[in-house]
Amino acid sequence: MRSPRIAALAALLLLAAPLSACSSGPAPASTTIGIGVDLPLSGADASVGTSTLDGIKLAVERANAQGVPGGFTFAVQALDDTQQGVHNPQQGASNVRTLIADDSVLAIVGPYNSNVAAAEIPITNQAGIVQISPSAVSDGLTLGKDAAMLRRANPDVNTFFRVCTTDSRQGSAAARFALDLKLKRVYIVDDNETYGLDLANVFARDFAKLGGTVLGRDHIAPDTQDFKALLLKIKGYKPDFIFFGGTTSTGGGLLRRQMFDVGMGKVAFMGGDGIPDIAEVAKKRADGTYYTVAAPNADLLPAAKQFVAAYKAKFGSDVGPYSANAYAATQVAISAIEQAIVANGKKMPTRAQVLAKIPHGAKNEVMTPIGPISFDKNGDVRKPVISLYAIRNGHSAFIEQLNLSE
Amino acid sequence: MHEFLAQLANGVELGAIYALIALGYTLVYGILELINFAHGDVYTFGSFTALVVLVALRAAHFLHGAGLILGIVAALAVAILACALLNAGIERLAYRRLRKAPRLAPLITAIGVSFMLENLIELWQGAAPVPFPNVIPNPELEIGALQVGVQQIVVVALAIATMVALHYFVKRSRLGKAMRAVAQDRDAASLVGIDVDRTIAITFLIAGALAGVAGFVGGVSFGSAWFLNGFGAGLRAFTAAVLGGIGNIAGAMLGGFLIGLLESFSTWFIGGQWSNVAVFSVLILVLVFRPSGLLGESLPEKV
Repeated sequence: MRSPRIAALAALLLLAAPLSACSSGPAPASTTIGIGVDLPLSGADASVGTSTLDGIKLAVERANAQGVPGGFTFAVQALDDTQQGVHNPQQGASNVRTLIADDSVLAIVGPYNSNVAAAEIPITNQAGIVQISPSAVSDGLTLGKDAAMLRRANPDVNTFFRVCTTDSRQGSAAARFALDLKLKRVYIVDDNETYGLDLANVFARDFAKLGGTVLGRDHIAPDTQDFKALLLKIKGYKPDFIFFGGTTSTGGGLLRRQMFDVGMGKVAFMGGDGIPDIAEVAKKRADGTYYTVAAPNADLLPAAKQFVAAYKAKFGSDVGPYSANAYAATQVAISAIEQAIVANGKKMPTRAQVLAKIPHGAKNEVMTPIGPISFDKNGDVRKPVISLYAIRNGHSAFIEQLNLSE
Repeated sequence: MHEFLAQLANGVELGAIYALIALGYTLVYGILELINFAHGDVYTFGSFTALVVLVALRAAHFLHGAGLILGIVAALAVAILACALLNAGIERLAYRRLRKAPRLAPLITAIGVSFMLENLIELWQGAAPVPFPNVIPNPELEIGALQVGVQQIVVVALAIATMVALHYFVKRSRLGKAMRAVAQDRDAASLVGIDVDRTIAITFLIAGALAGVAGFVGGVSFGSAWFLNGFGAGLRAFTAAVLGGIGNIAGAMLGGFLIGLLESFSTWFIGGQWSNVAVFSVLILVLVFRPSGLLGESLPEKV
């Protein structure tokens, strides 16, 4: 028994040898600049994650085609933060460390989720590398005491930016949209995660402030399969709609689906930008769902038409909910890197030089498919827009959008 | 009153699923004194096989009229068969060699098999939840103050019929008698001419078949299948088996229904995020104050 095992082990080692030689091969040519990416690319979030990554790829391809000062080329280095099928903060943190360890990476685009961002910001803040998220909307990532805690390593430096707007703006816009739709009595459910809880809290506060009635509030436990007990309880309150703070994968999809099993199929269902993919789980039963997205409707912006056409041509599919945001975030990162290259005499700039070129204030906005972008001192966009969509016949239909300029 | 009855019906539905899974834990424990932690994942496998059959039949436009009933029976039969074979295969490959090893070895092996199954199912069906076809039309029926869906009735009826069949099988049939004999004393059973290996294999086949039924009704009831479903459902069903007295068949059924009702009513009275706390507090309380469970006899030897 012994010798065949040793032989097998030796064979394995022999097989592995050329593999390890590959990974420790020559360092990438110094003319390549990495755009690090961290997104959920497999598992339950795969469809939104990959359409977001496609937005990044398109922006990088464009920049390379137009030519980069100093003869550099951009390359996407994408890592997946999914574990056990769901986005995972620890995995995200480890991915960001991997990206930072590579000297050619000058900026990071991502993550998708707020709880992942909260684990990553302290690391990018310490490393002083620019990080731009297309979609992490939790307030505490950029605002108040929570954000200060995340920036402990370098309290005076902000390295985290986002091209989407915040939970609180999304929650209050959702409250206004609901009342516009004549939905007045709500029961609120959330998934107890950073994003969902914040969104539901703000919605509850603003919906009551604007004159709506909040009938009750519940949180769901992770991995719950049976929502009928909860829904039966909610049914007793006779709400006009259920507001859900969370994502399709943390319970939104099954919650909507099981509403039909307890005779609540005609009751409306509303949520934030965590549930645009709800039809994948709830199928036909997704109809009657409303959701907000913390970005303008790309189809309505002139600058966006070109982007939508290019995206469809390259990937053969419709634009995902955050593809345009990802494209914009990458454009901002690339613009800052290119300016830093020029300022550095067409040589490879440092990460600090790139950070210094991130657009602030009204003067140096970057033109993107989601409008001109520059940031305030917290790292939030200066001209936020929120749009409302409904699911009809299994597809998303745009309804209206709100401009929330400060 | 309305809502109380509705929650009651929902708790019974949930409990029926847990009871079916709990029976699998208890049968195997009764005969091998092994907690088969892979059992929850056999349940997941059952959901997915039923789902795959239903999706294929729907794509072939088979699920209309009489075809619908045939299709449901076919999906159920395939799930039962697949799970029975899988479970027996696990026993043959992973547990049989370890029958004389210290108890910890098969227990840890069971956890290893569970991880393996989870990841194989993920490879097969992906990590996102897959919607389960809505095969059973679900109009609400009003029986007095009680509103129940047809789907609920089908789920509960199917589960109870399975349990009754199991009960008679174990109590009346020759194989059932052999199973009880092996559970009582393996060596004595082999002395009187019972083929112990075969009896244990049959026990795993039956436990797997029950997981197949559970997988089907679970898929119908929750409306989706997910590669990690078996973990949560398995833990709750294990709690149900311990509550009823692990190794005791009637106890597993009773425990399953009690845990289902507890989950339903704790969601109603305390809130959804506390239902897991309520269920697993029961596990701790039972293990501390009545380790033999509600119906189990006290057997200090068993771990």
